[in-house]
Amino acid sequence: MSLPCGIRNFSYHTDIAIIRTKTQWVLFILFMLALFVLPLYLPRSWFDTVNSIGILLIAVVGLNILMGYCGQLSLGHAGFMAVGAFTSALLTGNLHMPFLLALIISGLSAGIIGLIFGIPSLRVKGFYLAIVTIAAQFIIIWILQNWTDITHGSNGLDVLPASIFNWQFDSEIKQFYLIFTIAVISILFATNLARSRIGRAFIAIRDNDLAAEVMGINVFSYKLLAFFLGCFLAGIAGSLYSQYRGHITYEDFTFQQSILYIGMLIIGGLGSSLGPILGTVIIETLQKSLTNTVAPWLEHTMTFMPTGFSSGLNLMLFGLAIILILIFEPRGLAHLWALFKSSYRMWPFSY
Amino acid sequence: MDILIQNIITGVATGMVYALIALGFALIWKSSRVANLALGQLVLISSWFTYSMLVQFKFPFWLGMILTIAFAILLGWLIERLALRPLIGQPILSLIAITLGLAYFLEGFTAFIWPQGQGNLPKVFPQTSIQIGPAMIQQELLWAAVISLILFILLSVFFKYHRMGIAMRATADDQLAVQACAVPVNRVFSMSWIFACVVAAIGGVLISSIAAINYGLVETGFKSFSVVILGGMESFLGCIVAGPIIGLCETFGGSQFGSSIKEVIPFIIIVIVIMIKPFGLFGEERIERI
Repeated sequence: MSLPCGIRNFSYHTDIAIIRTKTQWVLFILFMLALFVLPLYLPRSWFDTVNSIGILLIAVVGLNILMGYCGQLSLGHAGFMAVGAFTSALLTGNLHMPFLLALIISGLSAGIIGLIFGIPSLRVKGFYLAIVTIAAQFIIIWILQNWTDITHGSNGLDVLPASIFNWQFDSEIKQFYLIFTIAVISILFATNLARSRIGRAFIAIRDNDLAAEVMGINVFSYKLLAFFLGCFLAGIAGSLYSQYRGHITYEDFTFQQSILYIGMLIIGGLGSSLGPILGTVIIETLQKSLTNTVAPWLEHTMTFMPTGFSSGLNLMLFGLAIILILIFEPRGLAHLWALFKSSYRMWPFSY
Repeated sequence: MDILIQNIITGVATGMVYALIALGFALIWKSSRVANLALGQLVLISSWFTYSMLVQFKFPFWLGMILTIAFAILLGWLIERLALRPLIGQPILSLIAITLGLAYFLEGFTAFIWPQGQGNLPKVFPQTSIQIGPAMIQQELLWAAVISLILFILLSVFFKYHRMGIAMRATADDQLAVQACAVPVNRVFSMSWIFACVVAAIGGVLISSIAAINYGLVETGFKSFSVVILGGMESFLGCIVAGPIIGLCETFGGSQFGSSIKEVIPFIIIVIVIMIKPFGLFGEERIERI
């Protein structure tokens, strides 16, 4: 990506910085301020949407490490999230473990389950791997459904809101700060990971894994690492989800959810740090407003259709969006933004 | 002993239904190397269309079937023309993702048009059970098995001897070389999607006349991936051999460990097969070069 006009680097330190100019610093700080005072001016009805965006964001950032950088398709991300959610619920509920510890352990457990299903990536890729992860999704959910001694089957588990050092996160606003702090940390982690040796190895594997192996990258261990990191973040997201909702069952983590995450990532843009953010925020906002306002309105006005027809609207438009993005802008909205930025910088000589 | 034979026959017959759906997958994979993850949704939408024709508009059965097949042809053509053709030459991730998008779209579309979520087709086959040796077996399952066997034979003969079938196999082998030989590659892709949709429609009518039309059809679609994986992706023979194996595992697993395990056995088989023999029983192992 091109630098802003007139900016030159005189040391490696400035060359590798993410934020390079004073304007960028100002904008970044303003954005972070705006984000963290958001609860003060946000209408109450939007809190639920914003908080679930934050949770989804963590999961999709994890998926981006796995799918966007390393090129390994995971169609079972909701399943890995479920592993994290149930681990955290059990640890805090039955063993009364402090939340932060449970958060880390649930990330690790989801990561390890991810590793197990990532092992076939040594021999197979593409569609075969996609099928293995579909199988992972269904096997995990089946186990959660039938291991009723621990997971209580379809009754689910009740989870108390998180508390860190006697600090209870028992309101929507407090939850907002908890979720978004962790979301910002994981986005920073993913962005920096992508620029490190590991991230470049991932990209090499994505572009051509045979060539990467010839260049001396240990393909198998890096693929497993990608699975671990992607599923680790999914587990963290699951843990946050469980304590935010207060009640979880296996039905919260369907295969459709898994596809939803992939769709968000594709619409936002694979393999960029901005992509998951754009995708999650835009899709989740659109979906919430579709279900909350447009669908009832349609049901009300189009009475000639059979009742309940608008339930399919969400799925249909979302599927259509994936198809259109893949056909017209396979690199997603993040690429459109990058194009806009570079043409703004070049103006009036943009081409 | 009776139960054993009963289980074997039921298992083989259910497996043949999976095999039928898997045939539609193998068709597309064989000619265009596109993995169609919208398999179950194709079955679902054509079943609902048949439901509309037969139950809502009350057409006679033969007319309903003709219309369903016409619908399947149109659907296959539209999907290939609008969604898949612009993506020729794109990385495999995009190809998989677009069939996922398609799956979502079709699922939403069926919920949009047929929001009732559950429907019953008129029974196509006689309901009486028949006796084979000591075992009683539902006649409809046998009919489904016979029809999938016939379709398998027809498709195999078509791929072996017909010009279009040969062109399809050649296209899968080397697209550029085939194009140089003046084979209309676009038409080959179109034809394979049309065929796959027709097979899915026939499978849909068979399954949903035995059971009912609901979201379970989509899950049947996922389960039949295990057939594809076990049999090898590009092999019709693999489908027809692996289908009954999966069906048998399901029925025997169900009778041994309780019926809830039935839902997950195909997926366990997928994981085991991919760990041990990733290209399946009859698949070709591909050697990659840089």
